[in-house]
Amino acid sequence: MDLETLLSFQWGMMAPEFTILITGVIVSLQDLFYGKKRLSNWLAIIGILLAMVFLSAQYQHVPVSILYDTYVFDQVSFFFKYILLMGTLLILLMTSTSRDEETEKVRGDFHYLLLAALLGGMIVVSSADIITLYAGLELLSISSYILVGLRKYNRNANEGAMKYIITGSLASAVTLFGLSYIYGLTGTTNLYDISREMSVIDTQLEPLAVLGFVITFVGLTFKISTVPFHMWTPDVYQGAATPITAFLSVVSKAAGFLLLIRIFVAAFTTEPGLSDDLTVYEYAIGFAGVLAAITMIIGNTVALRQRNMKRLFAYSSIAHAGYLLIPLVALSAFSLETIWFYLLAYMWMNIGAFAIIHVLIQNHQTEDISMFSGLYQRSPVLALMMTLFLASLAGIPATAGFIGKFNIFLGALSADPAHYVLAAIMIGTTVISYVYYFNILVQMYSRPKAESSPIQVPKALWLTIAICAAGTLVFGLFPNLALQFFSW
Amino acid sequence: MISFAWLIPLFPLISFMVLILSGKKLKNASGYLAILLTGISFLLTIGVLLDLRTITEFEVIWPWLTVGEIEFQAGALINPLNGLMLFVVSFVSLLIHIYSLGYMGEDDRKSSYFAYLSLFTFAMLGLVMSPNLLQFYMFWELVGLGSFLLIGFYLYKESAKKAARKAFIMTRIGDAGLLIGLILLFWQTKTLSFLEIFQAIEQQKLAPGMITLIAILLFIGAVGKSGQFPLHTWLPDAMEGPTPVSALIHAATMVAAGVYLVAATYPLFLASEWALIIVSVIGAFTAIFAATIGLVQDDLKRVLAYSTVSQLGYMMLALGAGGYVAGVFHLTTHAFFKALLFLAAGSVIFALKNQHIKQIAGSGKHLAVTKWTFLIGTLAISGFPLLSGSFSKEAIFAALLEDGQYGLLAVALFTAFLTSVYMFRLYFLVFHGKGEDKPERTVPLCMNGPMVILAVFAVIAGFFGSQLADWLAGGQGSFAVLHHSPTWLIFLATLVSLGGIVLAYYIYLRKQINQEEWKETFSSTYTILYNKYFIDEFYENTILYSTRAISYLIFYIEKYVVETAMAFVSGTIKAIGTRGSRLQTGQVQTYGTVALLGLAAIVLFFVVKGGYM
Repeated sequence: MDLETLLSFQWGMMAPEFTILITGVIVSLQDLFYGKKRLSNWLAIIGILLAMVFLSAQYQHVPVSILYDTYVFDQVSFFFKYILLMGTLLILLMTSTSRDEETEKVRGDFHYLLLAALLGGMIVVSSADIITLYAGLELLSISSYILVGLRKYNRNANEGAMKYIITGSLASAVTLFGLSYIYGLTGTTNLYDISREMSVIDTQLEPLAVLGFVITFVGLTFKISTVPFHMWTPDVYQGAATPITAFLSVVSKAAGFLLLIRIFVAAFTTEPGLSDDLTVYEYAIGFAGVLAAITMIIGNTVALRQRNMKRLFAYSSIAHAGYLLIPLVALSAFSLETIWFYLLAYMWMNIGAFAIIHVLIQNHQTEDISMFSGLYQRSPVLALMMTLFLASLAGIPATAGFIGKFNIFLGALSADPAHYVLAAIMIGTTVISYVYYFNILVQMYSRPKAESSPIQVPKALWLTIAICAAGTLVFGLFPNLALQFFSW
Repeated sequence: MISFAWLIPLFPLISFMVLILSGKKLKNASGYLAILLTGISFLLTIGVLLDLRTITEFEVIWPWLTVGEIEFQAGALINPLNGLMLFVVSFVSLLIHIYSLGYMGEDDRKSSYFAYLSLFTFAMLGLVMSPNLLQFYMFWELVGLGSFLLIGFYLYKESAKKAARKAFIMTRIGDAGLLIGLILLFWQTKTLSFLEIFQAIEQQKLAPGMITLIAILLFIGAVGKSGQFPLHTWLPDAMEGPTPVSALIHAATMVAAGVYLVAATYPLFLASEWALIIVSVIGAFTAIFAATIGLVQDDLKRVLAYSTVSQLGYMMLALGAGGYVAGVFHLTTHAFFKALLFLAAGSVIFALKNQHIKQIAGSGKHLAVTKWTFLIGTLAISGFPLLSGSFSKEAIFAALLEDGQYGLLAVALFTAFLTSVYMFRLYFLVFHGKGEDKPERTVPLCMNGPMVILAVFAVIAGFFGSQLADWLAGGQGSFAVLHHSPTWLIFLATLVSLGGIVLAYYIYLRKQINQEEWKETFSSTYTILYNKYFIDEFYENTILYSTRAISYLIFYIEKYVVETAMAFVSGTIKAIGTRGSRLQTGQVQTYGTVALLGLAAIVLFFVVKGGYM
């Protein structure tokens, strides 16, 4: 490759990624020489805002490919990057002024790790080559392992990080094993080439394609925490500091879903047909339906028994991942839009809920559900905001969460063939989820207050909560705003 | 003005937002703020009504949610029926906001009260201008939420909490019917817009059986909301809420939403003979059934509650018999006089701190304004000539006659008779008699004012029957006809009404007068008095006991059949939860094993399915 080719690429399209990379380097240097955590925080926030400005400038830009599809810019990557950046921004705001004793004790700083993880996520959503996809995935994962274990004097954190890294390695191994089948069948790592190769593949080899499909899929369920790679979730969520938990449940998960969409929808929907003229995707995706069903059931039922808020939200997040698998099973032209909208809604409501949980954990030094008792008397606004987020998580009308579920539901019914069973399970488990979400409401409104001291809420945290509440409400009342934005 | 109609519900919403977020900080200002914002809504409504004289139909819609090729819309639909409802709701709501200022007095949670009241007003206004059934359904649920919050407003009262829950659950049963009907309708017509549904029916796109089914399902929703038999039981219990709430929600507006639903989707009902018959029969049965119960209740508000149920039955009966105008007309007049009756009852409760009519025993007579306004309300509901109730009831009788429903007409007439009896029983017992208890406090102007205004409306609203018919005909076309009774029917109706009053006079008032003599002399009045007891006990032994028997039956069915099923379901869910969390041993080896076993199982499945083994 000569210099001319190299320069002919539209490197400007990578401005958001470069911004994050440079900010990460600056923040790490700052940490090395000055070690001011507050400064790191503001630098990171500015970096992300800058990246968002660059990203916004690319709205409605024509698709671009750099370095033979190792970096692609298209509609999908644009919208998912938006979620990743926005989610990380909200989380950084959440940590900016609050002081966590256990994080303070540690010399190391998490800001550049968070930025590195974000960069990994951004690479994942904007690559069409298995090698770079995998590299991005590992960047995201390895940064996450360290982020979880950052509070090194906390037993839970150590345990969580250890479990995370072991389960994660296992999942990586499985993923790579599956990917090697795909490479073996097609001889290329480029997703578009794979798709082309697959379309002319010898029917005798198709069972192997199915095997590659299934094994890769199972490996990747680790990132989105669905069955069978879901068991790490409660331990890791409990061990990680609350903002990190929010990051894992929103940003990391969004990247994971896009990865699934990229690999499977791009590579497996073009085969000539296995039996009855089904593509490998159509032939094999049914098992993901089973996974979705089990995930929804396990997430929602086990959540009933949790008293630790972070574990409860871990199971809740497993359950939501289960809902999100449905559009993949019932693949149609609107699946992508549905998943994107749901992740957007999930970002608002989940980060909002975690922000409030973060405040309460800081104030009470406990993670038990009892920290919510009497919240309405102590801080009505906080209680109302939490009510909004919980209503959205539970899928009550007038919230973004409702629209998200409604889209998934309609998608499952209007797909061909219609997935009545999945839709029914989704409705049933949603009803079950009311129990544990509303249990928190009961704590807030009907239980006597545990302490009468006023709750200290840092200003920047109000900002996070306000943005999340506005997002939850606005996209719940006017969902077309987001959906029109999506279909440029 | 009409193009800004969609602003009307927003003002109460703002009021709700401000009040709920400010907590208790606003104190007394909360009431004034709510009144101000509701007042703006009312003025806007007046403006819209003025425009409606020239414009018969106005629709503004925005795309709200696009899923594939299906587009759901939000917006506002203003036609004569909706305009009328807007007026009734915003007018009564404004008066009740003002009244509440006095009634809630120094209540600690006053701002929550006004917040909920504003929420309800917002929902109700949004409901009556929905251009499609989806928006309608959302506001319908929101109205239910407002009602739930307000019934249970006195949190410390266990009975209030129970009543709130009961209201929520009972109406929920109806809502389920409505939702299913809605989904069916959408499935059949691919739209939920009222206007497009009517077009689809006109073009006969739906099978007759399907129309009947959908109409009945929608009617089930109306049955729940409007307290029709057999889902009526929540309404008397809902009287646990503050009295102004009963006046607004459980007399004038929300309970009329069911009637409105039937009226708003009337072409659908007209297309199905069976649906109409069911509506009219349920309505007639509810009317007479609730009236009989009303005869034996001793709680001031409960009598009024049963009376509401009975009058709502009237409206349904009218709609079922093709009396579209008559039903809507009665809805309007009823909103005025029933709100008036409730407000007057509220004043009695406010001043005397008692709502048991036998204990009050005439003490109400010390409250002059209350007494006279209550009398006007009572006369109006009894169908006393020239008061509003007489006109709207007569319209209903005429519609029944026109439709040839002689049996139902007889039921309606008899109910009218019972109505006069129980209403005057109430009036005599509360406002005539010894009246030993002096009021503990005077009724302030902000409570008397709304009562007087409503009394004026209760008197004059009846004269606008034919204008109303023209008005409604402007938007709805052929079925908006006001039927006129032959002279004999008018006489009969008047006779029935006066007969009931006279009978009540003899039973309840004369008994009071002669009570002392009776003790001494065993005069001939004894028989009459005895008969009075006879009637009471007759009803107690039949209606109440059979109701109770049915309720026990249902109670046991619920206890053993439903709860066993529920226990099974929740047990299963809990068992899965327990198993699932037991699997969560905390050992990372288990996690790995589960993941790899899962993978192995899936691969094995595909190997077997593909036949490679």
